Amino acid sequence: MFSSKPNNEKILKVFSGIRCLSKDQLPRYMEGRLTDIEKHLVEQHLADCDLCFDALQALEREAGNEQYQELTGKLQRYIHDSIQPVSHVHKVAQYTKKEKTKESLLVYFWLIAFLVIGIASVYVLRGHLRNQPPPPPRMLSAAQPPAKDSATSPSGEVTNQPIVTAEQPAPAPGHHTAATPATTTPATKPAAPATTAGQPATAIPVPVRPTAADSIAKAKAAALKAQQKKHAADSIRKALALQKQQDSLKKEKEKGNDSDNKKPEPQPEPKQEVKEPAPQPKKETPPAAEPVNSDEYLYKAAMVYQQQGNLGEAIDRYKRIAANSSGKYAEMATYQLAICYRSKGQMGKARRLFREVIRMDGSLKNNAQQALDSM
Amino acid sequence: MHQQLTNLSDKELISRARKQDREAEGVLMDRYSHLLVAITLPYLDKAPKPDPNIVFPTLLQRLSASLKTQTIYKANEWILHIQKGYFNNPDKNIPFYPSRDGRDLLHIENKVEKAGTNIIDRQDLAVRLEQALQRMNADDRDLITQFYIDNKSFADLTAAMGITREKLRNQLKAAKGKLAKLYMNQGYV
Repeated sequence: MFSSKPNNEKILKVFSGIRCLSKDQLPRYMEGRLTDIEKHLVEQHLADCDLCFDALQALEREAGNEQYQELTGKLQRYIHDSIQPVSHVHKVAQYTKKEKTKESLLVYFWLIAFLVIGIASVYVLRGHLRNQPPPPPRMLSAAQPPAKDSATSPSGEVTNQPIVTAEQPAPAPGHHTAATPATTTPATKPAAPATTAGQPATAIPVPVRPTAADSIAKAKAAALKAQQKKHAADSIRKALALQKQQDSLKKEKEKGNDSDNKKPEPQPEPKQEVKEPAPQPKKETPPAAEPVNSDEYLYKAAMVYQQQGNLGEAIDRYKRIAANSSGKYAEMATYQLAICYRSKGQMGKARRLFREVIRMDGSLKNNAQQALDSM
Repeated sequence: MHQQLTNLSDKELISRARKQDREAEGVLMDRYSHLLVAITLPYLDKAPKPDPNIVFPTLLQRLSASLKTQTIYKANEWILHIQKGYFNNPDKNIPFYPSRDGRDLLHIENKVEKAGTNIIDRQDLAVRLEQALQRMNADDRDLITQFYIDNKSFADLTAAMGITREKLRNQLKAAKGKLAKLYMNQGYV
């Protein structure tokens, strides 16, 4: 029945929350300077709020408002002074704290990072020093098959002879003196046979590796040391003497042919032998790539001469290899000698040498037979 | 920032002050500072005559400490309690806890506030309050009707009833409490 009355919602006012009297409302209420609505609201609140009613009573009892005004002002200033700076100081402190933690974390991070980098670099350096000149994988793979070939052949144990280790002392002086004239004299007249032979020397790439430093040679020798343990002492001495001379020779030669040297490892001789069948030179390449001993260096030097068209020089070297060493390199040298003679046009000599290769019964027997048949 | 904070309700300021927002705490204290001063004035004139330079900072410290630990439903009641506690027994810190009657009132006030502009809720609340009002005794009902619905002022009522303002206020407060209790216990009638 009450709900139909228009003022029924007015009853909600009984329980409507009203804010406490503000700083200027209080004196105005006391002086009766409020509007009716405002006054009513204030009185509604005063009915509820002990704080405001107490304050009102206290102020009415006090004669002068001065103390109240003064203290209020002071208190508000005090609150402002104490709260604001503190909050600001608090914020600054928090910020600096955060920054400090960040900084210290960064410092730790860099410390650890540098430590790790240092340790890693030491590791890497040590590893690098241990295997300083890493053996080129191509050379090793190329070196493997011929060693097996020679092992199967009857002269297998002799092929391992010409190993030069870095620790080996210098060879006997007699060999030195004997070898020097032999090698130096051809070096003085390198171009003469090439012109007479008339072969296209420009098209031929040089098989010699660009880095022919002594250290590399030593390292290679050390790497293959385990493989080859038996070797004859005299051949070593010879080989050493020859190797040193060949090295110096090679360096001289290579200075002129740097651009050609950059080509990795194509075996040049097959290109030179146009008449020869394709499979033959491919078989020859592996032994040529083996960088182990002095026979090989000599052989390679001879090959270089051969490819440059300096057939006389090459023949000289091949002859020396065939005479001094035995086994694989002797066979290969003889075979190459035959090829040189053939390209020079001395067919009789070439035939005789091919026959000799066949007689040796090595890995090049078939190639020699083919060459002989095609002549 | 300060300007924005002054527009916030007490509740919001209290919750912010609990989250270490010193500014919100400052605004809250500032809002009640004049009332605090007014109710403290009588004590400052009493026998030991305490120094206001000590009294107010100490009071503020107490308020600040209790603000962080206590449940505060109404800031005005809380401030009055702390102030009274400080002057009656300065050494003891009595925690503030709203009375049962106070909580009834608070509950209904919250309901009214929550109803807001929702007409259905408001109608429902109004009807239930009317019902509670009808169950009150005649004196109290008349007093409430005159004061709240007829918008009569303290002065009018005191003149009509021939009682002091303080007494009138106490009667009004008691009547309101009864109404709240009746409203809350309506389900059991």
